[in-house]
Amino acid sequence: MNATGSRTLRTVAAYAVPVVVALALLGLADAMRLSLVNQLTSLLLLAILAMAWNLVSGFGGQFSLGHSIFVGVGGYATAVLLDHLDMPLVPAILLSGLIAAVVGVILAYPMLRLRGPYFAIGTLGLTLALLGWMLNWDFTKRSQGYTIPADATVDLVTLLRITVLVALVTVLAITLIMRRPLGLALLALRDNEDGAISVGVRRLRTLMPTWAISAFLTGLMGAVVAMQKGQLTPTSAFSIQYALDAVVICVIGGLGTLYGPLIGAVVVFALRQYTADFAGWATLIEAIIVILVVRFFPDGVMGLLSRGRDAVAAALIRRRGARAAAQTE
Amino acid sequence: MELVVQGILLGGLYATTALGLSLVFGVIRMVNLAHGDLLVVGAYVTALLVASLGGDPLLLMLPAAVLLGALAYPLQRFVLNPIMRHGQEAPITATFGISVVLQTVLLLTFSADPRTINAPYAATQVEVFGIGIRTTLLIATAIGILLVVGLDLLLKRTRFGKEVRAASIDPDAASLVGIDLKHTYALVLGLATAVAAIGGTLIALTFAVSPTSGTSWLLRAFTVVVIGGLGSIRGTLVGGILVGVVEDVAATVFGAEYRDVAVFGVLVLVLLLRPEGLFTRKVRRA
Repeated sequence: MNATGSRTLRTVAAYAVPVVVALALLGLADAMRLSLVNQLTSLLLLAILAMAWNLVSGFGGQFSLGHSIFVGVGGYATAVLLDHLDMPLVPAILLSGLIAAVVGVILAYPMLRLRGPYFAIGTLGLTLALLGWMLNWDFTKRSQGYTIPADATVDLVTLLRITVLVALVTVLAITLIMRRPLGLALLALRDNEDGAISVGVRRLRTLMPTWAISAFLTGLMGAVVAMQKGQLTPTSAFSIQYALDAVVICVIGGLGTLYGPLIGAVVVFALRQYTADFAGWATLIEAIIVILVVRFFPDGVMGLLSRGRDAVAAALIRRRGARAAAQTE
Repeated sequence: MELVVQGILLGGLYATTALGLSLVFGVIRMVNLAHGDLLVVGAYVTALLVASLGGDPLLLMLPAAVLLGALAYPLQRFVLNPIMRHGQEAPITATFGISVVLQTVLLLTFSADPRTINAPYAATQVEVFGIGIRTTLLIATAIGILLVVGLDLLLKRTRFGKEVRAASIDPDAASLVGIDLKHTYALVLGLATAVAAIGGTLIALTFAVSPTSGTSWLLRAFTVVVIGGLGSIRGTLVGGILVGVVEDVAATVFGAEYRDVAVFGVLVLVLLLRPEGLFTRKVRRA
C-alpha cells in the first residue's frame, strides 16, 4: 500500500474504531448484567474526565487542579435545570456542558495568564473558593445539597448509553482537535512557548478554545455523574478527588497521548475494584504509583508500549539486516 | 484596632508556615505542592511525641523537626532531584502525589477529626495594650520572627548560606565552582521541612489540624509567599501579616465562613496583578 493510502486508512480508522466500539456498547447494553452496566458507566466517566483534563494539561501542558469546578458546575446545572425548568434529560445535560464551558471561559481569562505551578495553585485556589461559596449559597441549598427530582431519574441502561455517547463525543472531539492546526499549536506552546509565539501561534487563541472544550466535556461528565449518584452536595460535587483522579489516570496511562487516559482509567478502575474493601488504601497506592511513574517511566503505559514497539521494530530490522548480509555473502 | 493587632499576630504564625515553601521555591525553583501536608505531618508527629513522652510541645517540636528534616533529605535527593530533569510539569505532579500520600497516610493512621495539641498555655490570654490576645498566638509570632531572622542570617552569614544562594542565583555556575547541587537541594528541602514541622505544631497549638487541612494551608502559605515575593525570606513576614489582617477583617465583615474564601480571593487577585510579588522589583521571566 502506498503512503497516502495508509494515511487515509489510518485517519478513517481513528474515527471509525471509536464509533464501532460505541455502537457495539450501545447494542450490548441491554444484554449486560446491571452490576456490569453500572461499573462500565463509572469506568467511562473516569475516562471522559481524564481525556478532557488531558487535553488541557497533557497536550496543553497547563497543569489544572480546577477541573472539579466543571464537574460540580455540570452536576449542579443539571439538577437545577431538571428541578426548575422540567427540561428533558438530554438537552439538560447538553446545556449543563455549555454552562460549564461558559464558566470555564470566564475563569480562563484570569487563569490562563498564569503558567506552570502558578496555574496549578491558582486553579486549586479557585476550586476551594468556589466550594466555600457553594457551601453558603442559598440558591443551591447550601451544604444540604440537591437531589435529582425522582421523575427525572433514568434507569442504569439508559444512563450507560448516554455515557457511551458522551465518551464517543469526547474521543472524536479530541482526535479531531489533535489532527487540526489547533492541536499542533497547542503542542507547540507546550514544548516551547517562546518559539511557538515567534512563528505566529497565538497563546490565548489556542488555549481558550481547548480550555472551553475541556470544560464542556468535563461538564457533561459532571452532569452524568449527578444522574448516576442521584444527589449532590457541594463537597461531593466540587471534590478535589476529581482533579486527583484525572492526574492519576493520565500520569499512569501517559500524559499527552490520545489513548493513555483510556488505558489509565482501566488500570485505576481495576485497582479500585480490588482494593474496594480497604477504603483509603487505593488512594495511597495510586499516589505512590504516580510518584514512581513520574520518577521512572515519565511517559506512562503508552510510553512503555511505544518503547516496546520500538524495540520489536529494531529487532526486526536487525534480523532483516543480518539476513540481507547473509545473502550478499 | 483589635482586629489589626490580632491580624498582625496571625501574620507571624502564617509567616512560619510559609517559610519552607518560599525557601524551596527560591533555591530549588520548585513549588512544593506537598508543603501544606508537611505542616500537618509536623503537627501530628509533635502530637505523638507529646502523647508518648509527655512534655512541652514547644520543646518536643524540635526533635519532630529534626526527624522530618532528615526524612525529607533522601526524598529530594533520590526522588525529586532526578524528576526535575523531566521539565517543569514533572515536579508538580510528583509533589502533588507526595501530598496525596501524606494525606492518605494520616487519614489511615488517625481519624479524620480535627485535633489540637494541648499545652497549659493553649487556652490562656495575655493583655497587651488593653487587648486580650491568645498566648499561643503571641508565642507563634515570636517564634515566627525568630525563624525569619535566623534563616535570613543563616543564608547571608554562613558558608552553607553562601552555597545555597549561589545555587539559587546560577545553578550552573555554582556547580562549576564545586557546589554539590544535589546535596544542597536536599539540604534545603530538609531545612524547609524542619521549619514546616515547627509551623505545623504552632498551627495545632493555635487552631487545629486534620489530615486533609494541608491543602488549605498550602494555599494560605502560597498566598503569603506570593505577596512577599517568591523566595524572599523577609517577605514572608510582610505577606503573613497582610494575609492575617485581610483574613481577620473579611471574617468580621462577611462572617467567619468566608475566611478561606477571602484568602483564596486574595491569592487569585495577587497572582493576576503581580505574580512576582508585591514587594519585589520586577524580574524578567526566564
